[in-house]
Amino acid sequence: MPFRRLSTARPFLTLGLVVGAWLVVPVVVKTFARASFFELTAPISVSASYLRDLQQYWALRLHSNDELVRAGHDLSGVLSRYEFAVQQNTEMRAEIERLEGLLRLPAFANFRMEHARVASRDFSGWWQRIVIRKGANYGVPVGAPVIFAGGVVGRVAEVHAYTAVVELITSQNVRLAGVVEGDTRPISFQGGLNPTFGPPKGVVEFVPLDVFAAPNATKRLVTSGLGGVFPPGLTIGEINTLAISSDGLFKTGEVKLDERLGSISEVSVLVPLEQP
Amino acid sequence: MRHTLTIFLTLVLLWALVAQTNHELSGLRVYLFVGGLYVTYASLMLPWRAALTSILLGGLLCDATAPVAFGTHVILFSAAFAVLSHLRDRLPREDTIARVVVALLVNLALFLLFSFTQIGGSPSPAAAWPRLIADLIVSQIALALVAPWFFALQHRALLLSRAERAALD
Repeated sequence: MPFRRLSTARPFLTLGLVVGAWLVVPVVVKTFARASFFELTAPISVSASYLRDLQQYWALRLHSNDELVRAGHDLSGVLSRYEFAVQQNTEMRAEIERLEGLLRLPAFANFRMEHARVASRDFSGWWQRIVIRKGANYGVPVGAPVIFAGGVVGRVAEVHAYTAVVELITSQNVRLAGVVEGDTRPISFQGGLNPTFGPPKGVVEFVPLDVFAAPNATKRLVTSGLGGVFPPGLTIGEINTLAISSDGLFKTGEVKLDERLGSISEVSVLVPLEQP
Repeated sequence: MRHTLTIFLTLVLLWALVAQTNHELSGLRVYLFVGGLYVTYASLMLPWRAALTSILLGGLLCDATAPVAFGTHVILFSAAFAVLSHLRDRLPREDTIARVVVALLVNLALFLLFSFTQIGGSPSPAAAWPRLIADLIVSQIALALVAPWFFALQHRALLLSRAERAALD
């Protein structure tokens, strides 16, 4: 009879043993196991990503020559605009460096842009992150800011041998210091509201009382440059509602984030350059 | 050992397929969670040691690719395994429909427990629940559709690796 009871309780004893063993396993072993299992799955994500690229390539090959000529015309217009912008940018950089030298100001952090394809997107109600196809092999560091055409994407959370994991600003774990465009007072941004079929949203707190925003008069939220991770002026989203917080000292509100974050396929990692 | 590895390989395949599906669904902000499939077949059909090992490996696989405390999936899957092992003699485990129902119930329990462990960091936990409930509904529908195929795949994989006889002994 006692043997039968023991046999009945065996699953729960095993569970207790597993939990107990897990609590005493050294952190080094857990870290090694995590890295090993991630690297085991990395080739699957990366090869699937290359297959998608190949699929897209063959899909594009099906376009007619007329369509390609039209796309070429459109592209040449865009290119000429960008060339002009690059010239302006170079002049402005030279002006900034001249003023920094005159006023003896510390230089802004310099970054190297590392463009990377997205290997997989993992957007649950609990977290939002992407895996990119560049990692330690391209010198991507943990904590590096990641941007795309629409502004801030997030920051690098983990770096592996040839992939890196980026935590998106839509994730509840990401907090940033932002400013309303044209203002200098920092406000706190946190992601984490991702309704089904709807655009991603975030929350702003500690907004000064004299800032107003409404769905028909949104305010652009940009990075403040405080904290030294993100350069200033990158778009985070549009503040579309603001209400006075419970303590009455500040306002809190919602930020509508770029919908393209949900289908992002290419990003740029800002790799900080060593200061001379 | 052979059936542990065989079942683990099927779990890797499941992980890859679900990851690709979630990649494509990301634009709609819908997410599939099929934790129930990692546990059900092994718990109901394999000897307990082989089942536990393959489930632990499956849990480690999920933990390595999710931003959670390492071991969260391992502990949750082990708890589900403990409950299913306790009940396995009372369940019609040879019946596919019964297995699917068990997988659905396990998935529901795992999803809710996992949500409670993760939702604390949300800026507005109450606002996060509609999304989680929508994900749960989609996950349960997807699981009900996929589970018969996946159980058949696991059974076939065991037969192909000639581990089925050992598994049944």
